[in-house]
Amino acid sequence: MAKSVRKQSNSRFVGILVAVGVIGVSFLGYTLSRPRQGIRPVDPNLVAGTAEGYLVGNPDAPVKVMEFADYECPVCAQWAQVTEPDVKERLVKAGVMSIRYFDFPLDSHPNSWSASNAVACGADQGKFEAMKDQVYALQDQWSFATGHRDPTDGLMAAAKNAGLDMALFETCYDTQKHYPRIKANLLEGVRFGVSQTPTFVIGGTVVPGRIPYDQFKQLVDSAAAAVAAATKSGAKAPGKSGE
Amino acid sequence: MNSRMVVAVIALGGVFLAAYLTLYHYGYVGSLACGTGGCEVVQASSYAKFIGLPVALWGAGYYASVFFVSVLGSVGPAADKRWPTPVLLALNGWGVLFSGYLTWAEVTRINALCRYCIASALMVVVLFGLSVLDHRARRAK
Repeated sequence: MAKSVRKQSNSRFVGILVAVGVIGVSFLGYTLSRPRQGIRPVDPNLVAGTAEGYLVGNPDAPVKVMEFADYECPVCAQWAQVTEPDVKERLVKAGVMSIRYFDFPLDSHPNSWSASNAVACGADQGKFEAMKDQVYALQDQWSFATGHRDPTDGLMAAAKNAGLDMALFETCYDTQKHYPRIKANLLEGVRFGVSQTPTFVIGGTVVPGRIPYDQFKQLVDSAAAAVAAATKSGAKAPGKSGE
Repeated sequence: MNSRMVVAVIALGGVFLAAYLTLYHYGYVGSLACGTGGCEVVQASSYAKFIGLPVALWGAGYYASVFFVSVLGSVGPAADKRWPTPVLLALNGWGVLFSGYLTWAEVTRINALCRYCIASALMVVVLFGLSVLDHRARRAK
């Protein structure tokens, strides 16, 4: 009798486990296969803005990618440190795409404007990429979230690591002469409907959030194919945003 | 169903929840970005990693261990053995401490709450409670 009750209990237990397993696997399969949320086409009526951003790569590359980022955003730092090296090595250096970086300081990050200003001062000395990388690498040493009300010391350390002329850098940083440029970059993001960072514009598509390399490459490949098809037919390609 | 079986069922659910959060952490599901609040902020914080690995991945390992031990202690060769009880108590006791630390960090350090993390913390508390019940029931026998 006891054995029979136990056997019945075991069968019910195994049945429930199988049901939970099926539901769990279905849920994961569904979330992995459904289209990424938030991806949308660029408004076809949107004309290229006047904001410059910072160009890296061949300006004539077939695909022109824009990145809107906030230097105080940890997700932007993760993308820059984990995914971007592959993007630069395999796509930018290969001439498949160029990337234009735009500042998009979020209201929730009070030190982001100073960081954008520091990077702009690095760009003045021809060291945009080195300074950008250092600002992200030392984010813990200047971001408000890690307790730094005044980011200056951390940003000075980043400038030093990037190999900048410190006298020139300090003068540039203190005068805040690049604030209008940062604001223009921010407004360019607003025009594209950006509300979170990082956000990418790849060809004719706005892609919010950090994306892994394989998904990034897929989007770049699609944009390259669209550009090739448009060139063949003589039509305007949807990959010219950011020009 | 005895309490070990219920532990196994909840732990299996936890494995899937933690797997989802791990995929989220690596950017394969959802949209990990700043400016959206909640889970995104928590997942982007320095507390989202522990010894170089995403906390969600540690969570998946924890739930898988609890699931494995509780299944062995329910229908496997150890169904009548005592040893799964202290193992489950230790695992879930550690789970409660670690979840408590993460919830404390969310409230006081990150200033954001992730609903999935809260759900996981509640599951861990239930798992620990069931482990205590299992311990009492076995001791009474």
